[in-house]
Amino acid sequence: MTQDAAQQLRRLLHLIPMLADGEAHSLHEVAELTGEDADDVLKDMRSLSLRYGDPGGFVPDLEIYLEATQVSMRTSHFTRPMRLTAPELCALQLGLAMLRQEQVPEEQDTADAARQRLSAALAKLPAEAPMAAPADRVRHLDFAASGDRSQLAALRRGVRERRKLRVTYRRADAVESTTRVICPYGLVASRGAWYVVAHCDDRNAIRIFRLDRVEQSELLDARFEVPASFSLDDIVHDGKVIDVDEPTTLRVRYSPRVARWIAEREHMALDADGSLTLDHPLADTAWAVRHVLQYGADAEVLEPERTRREVERRLRDIVAS
Amino acid sequence: MARAGNRKTIRTASAPGPSKLQRWLDVLAALLSHRYPITLDRLRREVPAYQRTGNEATFNRMFERDKDEMRAFGIPIETVQSGDPPEAAYQLRAADFYLPFMELSAVGGSARRSAARRAPFTSLQTLTFSPDELSLIAQAAARVRALGDPLLAADADSALRKLAFDLPVDALARDAERDERVVADQSPASRAIFALLGQALLAHKRVSFTYHAMGADSVREREVEPYGLVFLGSHWYVAAAERGDDVVRNFRLNRMSNVAMNHAKMRTPDFVVPDDFRLAEHARSRQAWELGDQEVEEILVEVRAPTGAATAAAQLGEPVAGHPERRCFRVRRADTFARWLLGFAGDLVPVAPPDIVRKYRELALETLRQYEEGA
Repeated sequence: MTQDAAQQLRRLLHLIPMLADGEAHSLHEVAELTGEDADDVLKDMRSLSLRYGDPGGFVPDLEIYLEATQVSMRTSHFTRPMRLTAPELCALQLGLAMLRQEQVPEEQDTADAARQRLSAALAKLPAEAPMAAPADRVRHLDFAASGDRSQLAALRRGVRERRKLRVTYRRADAVESTTRVICPYGLVASRGAWYVVAHCDDRNAIRIFRLDRVEQSELLDARFEVPASFSLDDIVHDGKVIDVDEPTTLRVRYSPRVARWIAEREHMALDADGSLTLDHPLADTAWAVRHVLQYGADAEVLEPERTRREVERRLRDIVAS
Repeated sequence: MARAGNRKTIRTASAPGPSKLQRWLDVLAALLSHRYPITLDRLRREVPAYQRTGNEATFNRMFERDKDEMRAFGIPIETVQSGDPPEAAYQLRAADFYLPFMELSAVGGSARRSAARRAPFTSLQTLTFSPDELSLIAQAAARVRALGDPLLAADADSALRKLAFDLPVDALARDAERDERVVADQSPASRAIFALLGQALLAHKRVSFTYHAMGADSVREREVEPYGLVFLGSHWYVAAAERGDDVVRNFRLNRMSNVAMNHAKMRTPDFVVPDDFRLAEHARSRQAWELGDQEVEEILVEVRAPTGAATAAAQLGEPVAGHPERRCFRVRRADTFARWLLGFAGDLVPVAPPDIVRKYRELALETLRQYEEGA
């Protein structure tokens, strides 16, 4: 099947049931709902109806009413969507399987039930049709994120129900935990970690909490509202999760041994000698120390001086111990 | 100048016949309008494009191709033997083709669409979703959309649009996207690469590409047998065995270029995926120090300062009886592990065996020298 024809058939089997409900629909809205632009919708209408001198097939039963901004349709054919195709079911089931990995056992029943329910909506191919390989045989999705699933479940519930949480959290550089009340605005998964972006009532500011440092969480009855001006987009910059406070700059030189990985990740070009000097937004010195030390002598802090001194101090302590 | 009498003839001859799309829709409408299987003769009478075919052989070929392609799309056209003497007939049951009715259990059984809309579809069953199930499905769709595979995203969108015909799943998906953000690959592979690998996976065809191996910093041609596509961490990989090699490796999609599939004998698989290969098991997320073919070494690590970072990392090791401040790690690449430990800046340190303790100290000294020399 040519891809164009398949895509057009898929679109029309969405469009017809939507338009043939006895009501006029805004062309703009229809385009939005089908994920196409208005011109494509009009082209599909034309493909459907244009028959030149041929007998009409199912078309004599079809009426299309096209106004400047509205469209409606009458037909007795295809007035319900087609069942899910195998790739459509596969896409949702992969997503459900990924979510299931993040759930505590008592939540997993819901994911299993949803998977089962969706399977009942799959188009039933006859036995002689070739079977596609099961979804989980050819695709696998995993964030590889660390952290306690029960904490993630509580945080996710807090986000969804707009309920505050009392969390016990140990900062990356702190040996003692603190307990605080937070309003969880949203969750971000990035580079193998989950983060909750929240308003911290104690600090009266937006703070980012890494899931694998949340030791305890308690869902409270108190509710909150997310400010209309807030968006997770303000927290995620070039794939990094960064606090909204004004960061300073950390300048690091990576040796040619490791620079190509960093350059690929950061979409940077290497310097002529194969090394890379890169500026990172810096909100937390402890993070900077951990970041450069994981590369050993292949990464060196150039600026700021206080971070450089802190790396040196930590290394002296290690050597002296 | 052509005579008026010829003009009509010329125009009719040059006008295009029904497009493939129209032909399929006519076939579907014809099959669905019968509750019983219909013969090829009957189908030919009801589908204008088939009437235009010059002879039976051409028609048969066209129909066979259409049937196979529509089945590949997911349309359940069934072949049955019908009549006396029996001959091949074709059926598309409404209940097998149309989406079942869907409703939310909490709404008391009323679907979004009116009862009148149900009338032509008496054979369709009803699926009842709980609000939690529906919310999870919306989250699942939002999740796969965020991962960077455009084909997977298109399939999730399409599925969601179908469900949205009866269920308020579109609003739930918007909520899911507002509340959770996934940071996937910042320079994803192209749609064409995803499409080609997807096709090769299903048809079990070999794939060749130019690959930039980061470890060796080398670029060379590869020919592989693809076993599966894996999204791990933030990136997409194809799990594949190189031709003539049993070892399954991951190749990152955005390090591949000049990707091509073996198109020879498309209906014949190039290889067989071993029965015991399990993609999820192969893709199990691992730390860099767990990878490789070296012998596993047990390394004892002490938590010197239980900071948030050190405490979370220590969870990757196993408890050591009688030493609550120690964890045991199973490591294949000791050098990589030493670097990983150094990243905790002395809060996590190796205590045994002596070789790893030495490596760790040497690494710290070498790194310190760099700062002393640069001061």
